[in-house]
Amino acid sequence: MANKRPPFWQREKYTPYLLLLPAILTILFVVLLPLIFSLYTSFTGYRLIRPETLWQWVGLRNYQRIFNDGDFWVAFGRTILFLTIALNLEFLLGLGIALLINKITWGQRTLRTIMMFPMMFSPILVGYQFKFVFNDNIGILNNALQALGLSDGAIPWLVDEFLANFAIIFAEVWMSTSVFAILLLAGLFAMPRDPLEAAKVDGCNSWQVFRHITLPFLMPFVFIAMTIRSLDVARAYDIVDVMTGGGPAGRTELLWTLIARTGYDNARMGQANAMAYVSILLSIAFTYYFFTKLLAARKYMGGAE
Amino acid sequence: MKTTLKALFAATALTGMAATSLSAADVDYGNFDGYNLRVKLIGGAQYEPLYARIAEWEAMTGATVDVLSRKNHFELDREIKQDIAAGTLDWCVGSNHTSFAPQYGSIYIDLNGVIDEATLAEFQPLALQNSTVDGRLVQLPRHSDISNLYYIKSMFEDADNQAAFKAEYGYDLTPPETWDQVKDQAMFFADAPTFYGTQFVGKDEAITGRFYEMLVANGGALFDDNWNPTFNSAAGVEAVNWFKDLYEAQAVPAGSLNYLWDDTGLGFASGTVALNLDWAGWASFFNDPANSKVAGDIGLVRAPKGSAGIRTGWSGSHTFSITATCDNTEAAASFVTFLTSHDSQMVEASAGLLPTRAKVWDDAKAKFAADGNDFLVTVFETYAVSMEEDAFTPPLITPWIEVSNEIWPRLQAAILGEMTAQEALDEAADAARLVMEDSGYL
Repeated sequence: MANKRPPFWQREKYTPYLLLLPAILTILFVVLLPLIFSLYTSFTGYRLIRPETLWQWVGLRNYQRIFNDGDFWVAFGRTILFLTIALNLEFLLGLGIALLINKITWGQRTLRTIMMFPMMFSPILVGYQFKFVFNDNIGILNNALQALGLSDGAIPWLVDEFLANFAIIFAEVWMSTSVFAILLLAGLFAMPRDPLEAAKVDGCNSWQVFRHITLPFLMPFVFIAMTIRSLDVARAYDIVDVMTGGGPAGRTELLWTLIARTGYDNARMGQANAMAYVSILLSIAFTYYFFTKLLAARKYMGGAE
Repeated sequence: MKTTLKALFAATALTGMAATSLSAADVDYGNFDGYNLRVKLIGGAQYEPLYARIAEWEAMTGATVDVLSRKNHFELDREIKQDIAAGTLDWCVGSNHTSFAPQYGSIYIDLNGVIDEATLAEFQPLALQNSTVDGRLVQLPRHSDISNLYYIKSMFEDADNQAAFKAEYGYDLTPPETWDQVKDQAMFFADAPTFYGTQFVGKDEAITGRFYEMLVANGGALFDDNWNPTFNSAAGVEAVNWFKDLYEAQAVPAGSLNYLWDDTGLGFASGTVALNLDWAGWASFFNDPANSKVAGDIGLVRAPKGSAGIRTGWSGSHTFSITATCDNTEAAASFVTFLTSHDSQMVEASAGLLPTRAKVWDDAKAKFAADGNDFLVTVFETYAVSMEEDAFTPPLITPWIEVSNEIWPRLQAAILGEMTAQEALDEAADAARLVMEDSGYL
């Protein structure tokens, strides 16, 4: 009798799986099933306003259209460029802010809070704010430039190809630099004092200390911030949609303004999902890249692999 | 009885009307005691005052109204599409628009026979005709819209301007009768970057619509009788070049291609634009000194004519529809009848929105005259003529928005000089043909 085995859910070797089951089920229903469903729809001619088209299998037709669609690939390339510029600017500015705030001793908490203000706004509000700042006729910026005598023309901030992309990146950087600043500041707080003091004793100047001790120590934090922000920026939508809507003439079209227009305005959800799946490759590539760099940085610091 | 009286007082107070018209309490809106009517309405400053009347309908009928959503039309459109996709059309009344309605297929019922004939007869026939898709009256028009040309009066009255204009262009400076004159005058008045001759909305369905009405005014058409795209015609090229010439001459703000209705409205109100084609809903705003630098100095003429002698008149109506899945069509019909009743339309007309009931036009004008608001009287007189004689809608076809999304980026490219007008329209016509093929029209 004593040897009778307990039912399998009570056996010790199954306990971890049993405990994980709620999490696995949640992920299955909340993440995996919708993903599989949207992947399926990318092989159909699914149109939102015609539910019956959900069963209209078109094979690879949506993907074929995408691969022959120049507009999509231009938007794809622009998104990569947008992401690269925005991330680097945010990193540099965030690092600068973190280093400055780390130096001050009085009012640091207040400054930290103020620094986070831009993050508290909804991206749509940020979009409207900068749309009116950059408006060529009644916008603050052009009026200020004209009043100061720095410009005698109306600069078409949201129309010119270079300026429009600059304006959007500016808004994006304004809103999210503090993500970098906060994470890097956390890194600076966690930094041990000993190596810094040892370096100073050995006669290193400030730049050498920063270059060889502070920065390598911060790199894991940088790559974590980069990963988070690259996922964010790769699906940038609200700000762009409000400021330019991807225009004019597609000059500021990013992947998600194109996908949203295809999926909702044109109601071609099947094709939009195919676009989304191709664009996910971009996010996967960036995430993989930053994780590789993160591991390398941690290894360099003697941390866990 | 008490509630009825209260409703009567409220209605009279709201409209300020004498008892010459039918007031809310004279119409029997039925009794739906305990019923909860679920609705999705368009939100926004212009549209909200009407919703203050919902409490009155609730008091009269005993029903309650649950407003599930109050968003702008583009967001509401997305939400409704999601509802269609998810099969969650568990509500009865939705705000709709003549431009959006055709794409929703059969989710909304035909209101012929649901709203009684006597009520329908009080609406303007053209408004009802424009609300009809495939022979079905899928929506009841709440208010209509069409654009006319506002201008800064003093600039046209200035003797120096008149003399200089005549010397340069060889004809008198008077409020324009044709779009070619608008172009001349806009170039004459423009002094970028501080002052512009005119402006136009430059993206989304907004610029497609402006192009479309200019195309028609020049004698062109978007499609032929068999739904082949024909807008890449000479009339189309002429229309695109009108926008392009003004843009290149810096007679319009450089950011125009990114403008929507708010930008053009605020631009004219800022006093930096001489001529402005705009909707009736802006009239009160333009003439309000608190908001506008041109208040008291505004002229208004009917939208000018294109090269074919036809006036531009892109028009549409904001409407209400009833879902086919509604569990109490009678209550829903009562509700939309109430929100489009004489008194309701008087509320909206007071804000400058154009009524769809013939009688409200006269009553609103009489009210403005009694209030001493001569400007709104002029506005209503001008818009009444254009609604009656010039109004036309975009093609009432399912893929209208999709076709529009193929057209407007190419219009922008042509205006910016990235391609010629002909190239841009040819490319757009090819893309539009694909859309029409995909949706079974070709």
